[in-house]
Amino acid sequence: MRKFALTAILVFLGGAFLPGLAPRDASASISLEKCTLCHGKPEFRKLLVDGQIRDLFATGDTLAGSVHGKKVCTDCHFDVSEIPHRERPKRVTCTHCHFKGNHEGAPQSDNVLAYFDSAHGKAIARGNTKAPLCQDCHGSHAILKAKDPGSKVARGNVAETCGKCHMEIYAQFKGSIHGTALAKGIAEVPSCPGCHGEHRIYSRNDPKSTIYSTHVSEQCSKCHSSIKIMGKFGIETEQVATYKESFHGVANQFGSRTVANCSSCHGVHDIRPPDDPLSMVNPKNVPKTCGKCHPGANPNFAVGKIHVDAKKKESGIIYWTATFFKWLTICTMLALVAHIFLDMYGRTRRLRGER
Amino acid sequence: MSHADLAAGKVIRMSLLFRIQHLLLTVLLTVLAVTGFALMYHGNSLAQWLIRLEGGVQNRGIVHRVAAVLLMANLVYHAFYMLFSREGKPELRQLFFTKRDFDDFFQSLRYNLGTAKEYPRFGKYGYKEKFQYWGATGGVLLIAMSGFMLWAEEFSMLFFPKFVLDLALIIHGYQGLLGFVLLYLWHIYNVHLHPSVFPMNPSWITGKVSAEWLRREHPLEYEKLKGEGLL
Repeated sequence: MRKFALTAILVFLGGAFLPGLAPRDASASISLEKCTLCHGKPEFRKLLVDGQIRDLFATGDTLAGSVHGKKVCTDCHFDVSEIPHRERPKRVTCTHCHFKGNHEGAPQSDNVLAYFDSAHGKAIARGNTKAPLCQDCHGSHAILKAKDPGSKVARGNVAETCGKCHMEIYAQFKGSIHGTALAKGIAEVPSCPGCHGEHRIYSRNDPKSTIYSTHVSEQCSKCHSSIKIMGKFGIETEQVATYKESFHGVANQFGSRTVANCSSCHGVHDIRPPDDPLSMVNPKNVPKTCGKCHPGANPNFAVGKIHVDAKKKESGIIYWTATFFKWLTICTMLALVAHIFLDMYGRTRRLRGER
Repeated sequence: MSHADLAAGKVIRMSLLFRIQHLLLTVLLTVLAVTGFALMYHGNSLAQWLIRLEGGVQNRGIVHRVAAVLLMANLVYHAFYMLFSREGKPELRQLFFTKRDFDDFFQSLRYNLGTAKEYPRFGKYGYKEKFQYWGATGGVLLIAMSGFMLWAEEFSMLFFPKFVLDLALIIHGYQGLLGFVLLYLWHIYNVHLHPSVFPMNPSWITGKVSAEWLRREHPLEYEKLKGEGLL
């Protein structure tokens, strides 16, 4: 009982004196109390036209623990000056503080500029209200640093965050090899930003995009040609190199947009290992996959290695034929050069004889 | 052979029709080599420049195939001409390899090494010409077959598994390289760099060679023409 009383007194004193110890703009601290008059009630919510419910509950603790722990409501909702609000407060503009050269001490980067150039930023600029602003991915009140595992944009959570809008893709991704590996907590596996980029997300039809048809192989090769990464999982690394030597790869490198790239055959968000019956490159599914571009593709398309390297012994008859031709050409060259020199020597002798 | 030719000591070696076929072969093989090797060595900067010159990979393929079809037409025409025409039939007969060619080859080797006294005496076509002719024909046929397989890849795959097409690609490219090497080392030597013709045997343009050259390099043909009273 005495302990409780002591605590109560301390809390009371703290409540009364702490604001004085750490002085803050008077109007701001008052406005927090004013805000919580309504927003502090858990049942404070609004029924929207489309039947959705917008939860409007927020207290002084809402920002606690987030990167904005020391901020108050009007630091971000600075357009609110009247209670009740005459019109709906505008969506928060993060660039109010987060710009290069700000004096707030807010992290400074060009990411916001990159965002405005991205597919999302451009959609916003076109007036698409469904397109995401900063807070749609980073969170509104509970913003944590990206490195914090609890952050909405942390490696383990970002796919779900993207999936809020890109639902179908998220469902596909969760079943894919990358999605399942991500769920297992494997550190090297890519989540959405691994391929699409973070702020610089562009439409796949935009030549700037990392997933533009002629950039796909390069993007995949960032991990898939690395022996260091692939060695851990027992995956071959020369797939990208052999692709680049193939007809598909050559046409792709010279700018063909209709030719197959990695994802044309392996899938995009639904990439699965070849032994998975649902995989697009499972031998049973290969005719169908090839058939997307080669009408009438039959099981013959699956007979023989697809990523074949004529310089490797494992390629069997392909390797031996290439090696045979290589040595045939070398020997022919040597024989011809020898014959030419002999012939010239003999010719000189003949001429001398005639004289 | 006209009297003027005889007076000037000239002998016809390639008739107009053969010269046209040869010229077509030269131009088309060059186009095929330039477009083909550009693709085969696409990592090379010269090859990339060539592909851009040819209008990108798509156009490169079209140029390559047009040249290939023209070459096939030339080849088919040549085959018919050699098999059925009055001029072609005896030419073909003289082009077949006989045991004598092997003897000639070894004799020339021995002569060049200094163990034989006599250099072999050739007819109109010696072993060098015959090797060139049949080598080129065989090579072109092999390249043509693998090329058509790759061109009609969806049709080929109705009958052949994928690795056969991989094989066709290997054969097409490497046989092309081998043919190119042969052409350069053998043909360029025989008709350009060989001391008896340097800088060039003119017969592919004028159709004629000198009777003196014929007497030295193809004595049997020279004697035959003389026996027929054509010289």
